[in-house]
Amino acid sequence: MNVLLADDDDLLASLLGFRLKKGGYCVHHSSNGKEVKEYLKTNRPDIIVSDIMMPYFSGIELINYVRKDLSLDTPIIIISSAGNEENVLSAFELGANDFISKPFSPTELMVRLARELKKT
Amino acid sequence: MDGIQTENLLNQLKHLESSLSSFSFESLNVSEAASLKSSFRAFSDLLEQKIQNPNSHVSVVGMAKNPKDEIIAVDSRVKETKFIAHISHEIRTPLNGIIGFTNLLREDNLNESQSKKVDAIHMASQNLMEIINEVLEYSKLTSGMEDFVSVNFNFRGLINDVIFLCQTLLMDRNIDLRLKIDEKIPGTLMGDPSKLSQILLNVLGNAIKFVEKGFIKLEVSLLDLGNDDCRLRFVVADSGIGMSAEQLEHVFDCFKQASSDIYPKYGGTGLGLCIVKELVERQGGEISAESQFGEGATFRFTIPYKKGSSKHIPKQSLNTIDRSKGKEMLGGTKILVFEDNTMNQHLIKEQLDKWGCKVYVTSNVDNGLGILRTQQIDLILMDLKMPGLNGFQISEIIRGDAYIEQVPIIAVSADYTATDEEKCIASGIDDFLLKPYTLDELLKKLLKAKNQTDLSKNSKDLLRKSIITGKASAAVDLLGVLEDCCGEISVLEELIRLFKQNVYEFIGTVKINLKQNNLKEIGFAAHKLKAGIKMLQLENLVNIMMDMQTNSEEGNEIKVRALFEDFLIRYPEYEKEIDTSLSILKTQKED
Repeated sequence: MNVLLADDDDLLASLLGFRLKKGGYCVHHSSNGKEVKEYLKTNRPDIIVSDIMMPYFSGIELINYVRKDLSLDTPIIIISSAGNEENVLSAFELGANDFISKPFSPTELMVRLARELKKT
Repeated sequence: MDGIQTENLLNQLKHLESSLSSFSFESLNVSEAASLKSSFRAFSDLLEQKIQNPNSHVSVVGMAKNPKDEIIAVDSRVKETKFIAHISHEIRTPLNGIIGFTNLLREDNLNESQSKKVDAIHMASQNLMEIINEVLEYSKLTSGMEDFVSVNFNFRGLINDVIFLCQTLLMDRNIDLRLKIDEKIPGTLMGDPSKLSQILLNVLGNAIKFVEKGFIKLEVSLLDLGNDDCRLRFVVADSGIGMSAEQLEHVFDCFKQASSDIYPKYGGTGLGLCIVKELVERQGGEISAESQFGEGATFRFTIPYKKGSSKHIPKQSLNTIDRSKGKEMLGGTKILVFEDNTMNQHLIKEQLDKWGCKVYVTSNVDNGLGILRTQQIDLILMDLKMPGLNGFQISEIIRGDAYIEQVPIIAVSADYTATDEEKCIASGIDDFLLKPYTLDELLKKLLKAKNQTDLSKNSKDLLRKSIITGKASAAVDLLGVLEDCCGEISVLEELIRLFKQNVYEFIGTVKINLKQNNLKEIGFAAHKLKAGIKMLQLENLVNIMMDMQTNSEEGNEIKVRALFEDFLIRYPEYEKEIDTSLSILKTQKED
């Protein structure tokens, strides 16, 4: 299973990357929206985990890009910070499948990830 | 300089780009790979902008404001020179990043094919850096912006330093490096010492490239000796592959390497000797070359100098220090070195390590300021020519910070002019070391600066303690995070390393933006660091970050400053606790 991890927080990305790989996933990490867009031009990950705040291209824009421009139904899990509830709502409206709020335990993300993948 | 130069630069860039793109970043888990990747992204974005959209440089080079006027007024040659110089400057910064991170990557456990690729990237970026430096140098020379100084210098000392450097380059090769200096040459000359060492290193470096076995020799003789001046003749001869008559004819031309297969084997831009010629002639000298194919090459050049007076050599005292005692006198001193040239970084670190110093080397201002605030640095060696903010500006920031303002700063530079001295004092620089310097000179400056710190340090320590004991102590529990890392200490260690790096960068970012009153950036930086602080569960610091973020957004500068000061006082305690906690976990794991 291929996971696209989009997060500009290198600490979190490093930890999640480690856990995902340990869990048997193939991980591609991008630290900004521009890279994500570029990656999605030629790659089709099985699931996307993205921070809601990123340089160049926010998580919201990413959902829009995946659902509208690429017409893909790849599951998307959004990582948000506390106090960003409004954005989370618009993320769901645009087609995000799940969200997880920082700080969270990597194990929780792993569970949510597995659940989303089971649905597809 | 013509279109060939742009083409050459572009070819080298393509070369680097292709070796970088054949490298699979995804196969690496380590953080350096991520950093390398983002450096590369920044690098290629920049290229895209600057090269594929050449119109953009019109406003960037900053000549006439009206583009029409500029096109008419500026002759295209000057324009290209400036353009090249400009993009080269901007490319240096991300390129430095690439070189730095490949250095780090090489220390990781890579498999064979990975390390081959990392080596290739490293080589390509080093080559490119060399080219860019030479291009910059050449544009500076031809545009007349390069200044030649006239100072007293120790001639034999300079020659010895040059030879020492060449010997390190020749280290394990079977080549005899011979030196002959005319005894009648005065000990002190007046002229431009850094230009002389540049010329010699270039010509000798060239010989080192082309000689596989045999000898290289440098002979210096006195041609004329007047009352006040003299003329020296330098001869550099080698037993290398030599050149054909046709190659010889173009040896001083720009970008003409003897043949097209030279680059892959020997590297270089073909600019080196062209720069040498310019340097020699601008000083009123002459240069020529002689060679036969297969029979080595001989370069001869003359340079006029004034006779100098040893009394005027800047701050050189007569008593010498026993260098072997360096360790005894300097051991344990914490030194921060701001230096952007990777070779110099390496050299200075090696030397200071030998004297038992704890050395931090950085080319990044943010990073450097972070280290200063957290590591109780004893003294700073500051190269004045840094990319981005220069050494004077960095020194001013340091002097504006109540907590670190007393750390002595020794400026290091190749240009020592009167204006520099005034500027040094104005920026709060304590002392000055002229490049190229001898080990004795370095040691003396370090000892002098260290004595200053030792005196003031005791009182500072007391002050520091009284501030900290007033606050709640730093409690750190890494067990939770270790669980998230599935109990793997190495992952935890990596996270902590990243975290510290983020803190240093945060401190630097805030300092610079406070100076420029840019609260928005500070708010964003606090938000970013908050995530890591939460992950490591550093409770008090989380609150500081949240307050900093809100107050930055509200434009409350005074509050932001106070919170930042508070953070700076508390953070070192946390870092200490983190380190202790980590080492306890490590020993438990081993048991």
